[in-house]
Amino acid sequence: MSETSLRTDPGVSGIPRRSVLAAAAAGGGALAGSALLTGCSGAASASPAEAVPSRGPAGRPDRGGTLRIARPPASDAETLDPASALSAYEYLGALYNRLVRVGEDGKVAPDLAESWEPDDAARTWTFRLRRGVTFHDGSAFTSADAAYTLRHILATATASPQGPVLAPLVDPKRLRTPDPHTLVIPLKSPHAEFPSLLTHYNCYVVPDGSAKSIGRTGIGTGPFKLASFASAGPGRVVAYGDHWAGRPVLDAIDFFSVADMQARANALLAGQVDLLSQTNLDFATARVIAASSRATIARSKNAQWYVLPMLTTEKPFTDVRVRQAMKLAYDPEHIRKVALQGAGTLGWDNPVPPSDPTHIAAHPAHDPEQARHLLKRAGHERLAVDLYTSSYDPIFTPMALAYQESAARAGIRVRVKTAAADSYYTQIWMKKPLMATYWYTGRPVDQLLNQVFRSGSSYNETAWSDKEFDALLDRARRETGEGRRRELYGQAQTLIVDRGGAITPMFADRLTGISRKVRGYAEHGFEFDYLGIGLKGA
Amino acid sequence: MRGVFTFIVRRVVAAFGTLLLSSVMVFLAVQALPGDVATQVLGKDATPDAVAALRKQMGLDQPAWERYFDWIKGALHGDFGTSLVTTKPVGGEVAQYLGNSALIAVVTVLFAVTGSLVLGVLAGLYRDRWPDHVISTVSLVGMSIPEFVVATLLVLAFSVTVPVLPAVVLYGPGAGTGQLLPAVWLPAASLAIVMAAYIVRMARTSVIDVMASEYVTTARLKGLSTWRVVTRHALPGALLPTLHVIALNVAWLVGGVAVVENVFNYPGIGKLLLTSVQNRDLPVIQAIALISAVVYVICNLAADLGSMALNPKLRTRGGSVR
Repeated sequence: MSETSLRTDPGVSGIPRRSVLAAAAAGGGALAGSALLTGCSGAASASPAEAVPSRGPAGRPDRGGTLRIARPPASDAETLDPASALSAYEYLGALYNRLVRVGEDGKVAPDLAESWEPDDAARTWTFRLRRGVTFHDGSAFTSADAAYTLRHILATATASPQGPVLAPLVDPKRLRTPDPHTLVIPLKSPHAEFPSLLTHYNCYVVPDGSAKSIGRTGIGTGPFKLASFASAGPGRVVAYGDHWAGRPVLDAIDFFSVADMQARANALLAGQVDLLSQTNLDFATARVIAASSRATIARSKNAQWYVLPMLTTEKPFTDVRVRQAMKLAYDPEHIRKVALQGAGTLGWDNPVPPSDPTHIAAHPAHDPEQARHLLKRAGHERLAVDLYTSSYDPIFTPMALAYQESAARAGIRVRVKTAAADSYYTQIWMKKPLMATYWYTGRPVDQLLNQVFRSGSSYNETAWSDKEFDALLDRARRETGEGRRRELYGQAQTLIVDRGGAITPMFADRLTGISRKVRGYAEHGFEFDYLGIGLKGA
Repeated sequence: MRGVFTFIVRRVVAAFGTLLLSSVMVFLAVQALPGDVATQVLGKDATPDAVAALRKQMGLDQPAWERYFDWIKGALHGDFGTSLVTTKPVGGEVAQYLGNSALIAVVTVLFAVTGSLVLGVLAGLYRDRWPDHVISTVSLVGMSIPEFVVATLLVLAFSVTVPVLPAVVLYGPGAGTGQLLPAVWLPAASLAIVMAAYIVRMARTSVIDVMASEYVTTARLKGLSTWRVVTRHALPGALLPTLHVIALNVAWLVGGVAVVENVFNYPGIGKLLLTSVQNRDLPVIQAIALISAVVYVICNLAADLGSMALNPKLRTRGGSVR
């Protein structure tokens, strides 16, 4: 669905689930294949969560070498234009820089912009840009390129998923470049968290006037420059010696597109590739890889959050008491044990990850008695609901079954129904009142809350509409005091937990397959360290 | 001679009829896919204007029968429309993938057919003795295991444990034969193993039947050597029923590659089919379905004409019967 076919649809673009094709292609055959491999490896005895290592190989890489990455293609029509919904995600971080990125602490960190500040009302933002930065074609990076990048994202012809996010705030005609190293962005309405919206992976900086060619040339300021690229095919990037932050450790990276997840795992096991990108391995396959002599597993902590969205426009979830009961009824610890084999962080129905500075930890406790009581008051004493799941992701069905079991103790009868994986996000998501899904973490809090929970947003999968919540978000945007703003985002989270439609049992680690030779692998959210990654004995 | 001619004409006409029917069914099946095609392509949040524009561009505002004839007319000229995803002509794209698949198919058929005929005949000649037991058991096992499991086992053996062959193809559809050649063996072997099982069983049974027949007994009584009896008298008779099984299996290959190519990331028609179904790239799906039908029909036609050539009874049907 999304990335591959919905080309002009800003709603269901690449943001939430990058590896759509990949996961959908991993059908029954792949699962059976992985189970078979597990059987053969004889590593089935230990508890899976324990058998899978918690971090990749430690130590420093040697200089040089070529890293081979297997990746799921975004589409047969994928492009190197970062703003496009069909961008080849892995190339972006290697070829380009953004003005700002997300640091490991969840805060906005400098990239091509060295500093940025708002005016008193957070209505105008001024970005001071790094000097001495050159594009791969030798031309100097200036504020004109930065301004052009924003205009390119906002152009309707680009159909960028980040366009609708920025359009209500930024008027492309009013961007100012007083000197080559200053970009001034006047906003249509105040926004104290505006820079966080530029950390999105659609916001990589491209050269002035490059809209027509950027999809093929990939000219950026990043640590690698393009050697070759084929849509849904192989490609290569080589170290850019003049990169502003220094030369990367590696000499080159080869990217190979492999749509089938099991095929990707096989390529790693056979030593044909060194890293599987955008691939959350199921536990069985992860154990096989961890047990092999060539490869192992690295974890991205809390890389995705799992959710059972209740459509608040569909009965019985129109009643807030029923939604509260559905949340109080289940034991998240039980779901974590069953679906994640114990490895993950409890969500307590709050989608903001614990690493985010605004995250609030307070939540109502698991209380099946109170759930019964609420249902009785709402006139749904013997509540029975359908919960949809699919083989799209290996966690969905165990999560649904664990919820079913847990909720049964509060007297809720859940019927788990399995739907086809390839049409799951067109036929089930946002159509059925209750289903299983997930999102990648890594969005800044303002974008997360506004895109997934605000009234009318095209990503609002619970169709929740709460005036108080929307008003809180607006106030937070206008609030220039950081502490006060954090409080407002905290209150917004409390409203989601108390009244919203999203049952969020847990955050799960992403299990990434890497070769035992890889050193310095670091990935969090949508940030991948291409500068520091390398190979031992390259 | 007139009989032979009528027979051939009748079969060819039937083949064209089948093709025509399947083209209608392919077209209708794609029409019947859930949801309006334009909405499917643009996504649920598309504006009505965008949907209307795309419907017009795709010709969906025309009546179905008109679209069908346009499609068939184009297909006869090798024009299958343009891909909704890559916006390139479908014909050229499919041809490229088809060429890659043909490489697997040729290798598979060569191995499966020669190998299994030899094994089948051996099993038939050594009926109920150890060579027969070994061959029959192995082929039964091969028949019962799905091709993706065979593929996984082969990868485990020849790519992971003893890494002599690549586990997956890392090149795109534009890869040259030289690049693809090392990657052909494992997919071809997985397909050949599953396919061979049927041919072995059939060849064995026919050989047993033929060896028990009166004309073989007569040949033996005449004092001919076993070798001569087998090659001159038994084999042609035994090949006849086997030919049908071979033809059907070659046709089955078209479906078999879809699974196996995806396990090996092989840039062939099966992988293209899967991607296109996921992308709802309707013109590509239609083209591949139609091409598969053509392969099926040609295989069956070849089998029929082939058995006619081998069977004097069929050859003279319609002529004078004593």
